[in-house]
Amino acid sequence: MQKTSKLARDGAMWGLIMVAPTIIGLLVLNIWPFIQAIYMSFSKSLPFGMFEFEGIDNYVEMFQNAEFWKATWNTILFCILTVPVGIFLALLVAVLLNSKIRGRTTFRAIFFLPMVVAPAAVAMVWKWIFNSQYGIINSILGSNIGWLTDSKLVLITCAVVQVWSNIGYDAVLLLAGLQNVSATLYEAANLDGASKVKQFFHITLPMVSPTLFVVMIMRLMSSLKVFDLIYMMVDDANPALNDAQSLMSLFYRESFIAGDKGYASAIVVWTVLLIGIVTIFQFIGQKKWVNYEV
Amino acid sequence: MKKLHRIATGAIAALMAAGLAGCAGADDGTVNLTFQIWDVAQRDGMQAMCDAYTEQHPNVHIEVQVTSWDEYWTKLEAAAISNQMPDIFWMHTNEILKYADYGKLADCSDIVDTEHFSDISLANASGSDGKLYGVPKDKDTVGLVYNKEMFDEAGVAYPDETWTWDDLVDASQKIYDATGKYGYMAYGDDQLGYWNFVYQAGGSILTEDKTRANFTDPGTKMGMEFYIGLQSYDWCPDQTYFAETAPGTAFFSEKGAMFFEGDWNILTELQNYPDMVGKWDVAALPKCPNPVSGDGRASISNGLSYATSANNKHMDIVKDVLKFFGSEEGQRIQGESGAAIPAYEGLEDTWVGVFDEYPIDVTPFIDMFDYCVQSVNNAARPEWKTPVSDTLLKIYTGELDLDTGLQTMQEIVDEASAEYYEEDA
Repeated sequence: MQKTSKLARDGAMWGLIMVAPTIIGLLVLNIWPFIQAIYMSFSKSLPFGMFEFEGIDNYVEMFQNAEFWKATWNTILFCILTVPVGIFLALLVAVLLNSKIRGRTTFRAIFFLPMVVAPAAVAMVWKWIFNSQYGIINSILGSNIGWLTDSKLVLITCAVVQVWSNIGYDAVLLLAGLQNVSATLYEAANLDGASKVKQFFHITLPMVSPTLFVVMIMRLMSSLKVFDLIYMMVDDANPALNDAQSLMSLFYRESFIAGDKGYASAIVVWTVLLIGIVTIFQFIGQKKWVNYEV
Repeated sequence: MKKLHRIATGAIAALMAAGLAGCAGADDGTVNLTFQIWDVAQRDGMQAMCDAYTEQHPNVHIEVQVTSWDEYWTKLEAAAISNQMPDIFWMHTNEILKYADYGKLADCSDIVDTEHFSDISLANASGSDGKLYGVPKDKDTVGLVYNKEMFDEAGVAYPDETWTWDDLVDASQKIYDATGKYGYMAYGDDQLGYWNFVYQAGGSILTEDKTRANFTDPGTKMGMEFYIGLQSYDWCPDQTYFAETAPGTAFFSEKGAMFFEGDWNILTELQNYPDMVGKWDVAALPKCPNPVSGDGRASISNGLSYATSANNKHMDIVKDVLKFFGSEEGQRIQGESGAAIPAYEGLEDTWVGVFDEYPIDVTPFIDMFDYCVQSVNNAARPEWKTPVSDTLLKIYTGELDLDTGLQTMQEIVDEASAEYYEEDA
């Protein structure tokens, strides 16, 4: 008895030592900064990393600020614009790449390529494509549309780029899900005379739904946290800035440009709450549509 | 995710090991100093200056490091918090008061030979307490850059120091009518834009003691109204155009005839646009024809300084290096490299001489030192800079009218400044 227990204890100790780097990394790089951010959100920030506790002032100021509500709305709108369309297109691409078309490995590589390119480079190239004076889109259309400077269009333009750059990655994940669907199910459906469309809705979709769920959670989170794309595409001199600014861009400006880290932390805490609420709803909702039976 | 953390921890361990190794080599009397700057175009000039120092003091090695302007202040602030500032670094008027007033910079009063620097240069290197927290490095002014070919085509005489705002508008209109190109390109910028017009009109951005804003002053309003109003002319692109195309880019792709440029960009522009060399030149800024006060002339003059941390480990050596940077010899090397106009009085010609090989006359930049105005700053400047620019954009888009916009700017600056300067009741 004694001996096995010592062995088990040794095993547990070694296990802990082995995972320690990861756990310590997580604590030092993620958990501790997050706790600090919560503390900072209740503090007034002074230059050079000094803080002075002041209670809920930052939150009061934030909830009274029209720019903040605008950024919250922009962020939600950005999710509505990118997530459903993005996932639909990714699924479409995945289904097509899963069928027996010629050169499909090449197509898979092509669709995955945007994921390999640095987001900043993607944004720079698209910025040129959408440029109202010299951009290729306006010169093809022969129009003079301010894709990035018109306050009504700017967020849609950013959404298009976001969808474009993520389709490939999502499609590859969904493709992996699709390939796990047993071919016997389709054979059976064929014998029963089910049409391709029926097969898609009654076999493919339920079988791939767990992957779809994962993709959806990831996509929603990344859209709620969108920063680099908007930061690169819409610069400070852009009159449409206010109509494109996401919560994270607002956070960046308040924290690193205006230097008000306390107020910026309040924005972060608010964003975390927003993501948390959305994710809880997703987990509740998944019971209705995600199929875990094989 | 897990993998990332493992890589991160590994990297940290490697860095610590490297740090330890770095400490070990400093015993033979050699001192290695770091020198942080943000302008890659000045790297060679700065390195030449450091090399000249090393030649006289072989045990001191100075490494010039360049960080882009966008990251510079984030990095420097983080370094200041963790007490790991570079040994020597550039300071900008936007930020010097914040750093100096919080005790981050070493007092340099004892190593600056004040008689060789102008009052504006010294003011640009001072903290709120009036002490020098940096060694003046350079000084600059803003000039009117114009396209000679477009002026010729429209039959308009080139701008000179007699030009007024009215001439600027007339010439722009004529060039636009004759060539279809834009005239003067006025965009949402402070130092290279409205500040100049405000001071020409006799207004100011801050009150004289710098503790409050002065946007509601009649002179200030006159300058702002004229400058912002320029975008309503056909010959000036609007702010949506400038959001995508910087005026410099438009000018050098021959879309427009005039824009305001700082002297520090001229050499780079000559080098970057070889096809344009000879087609453009520089003039003094046009003056206000009916200023509320003053003679209508003004050009914003900023200046950088060399600074070091208040608790540098090699303070004596660093101060000796800084003293050299501020000496006639050090400033001469800087000027001759074309990096910037030396702050040291009487060495302006070293910088002008760099342009001898180009068909351009840069002396208007030097002439404007006679009536230039110190670049606007107070301790709260980092806080109000962005909100004021945002408000300017709102005036441009028509979301705010001029009076409301100026009132908003006034409140933004006053509110931010109140935290630093107590109310004089």
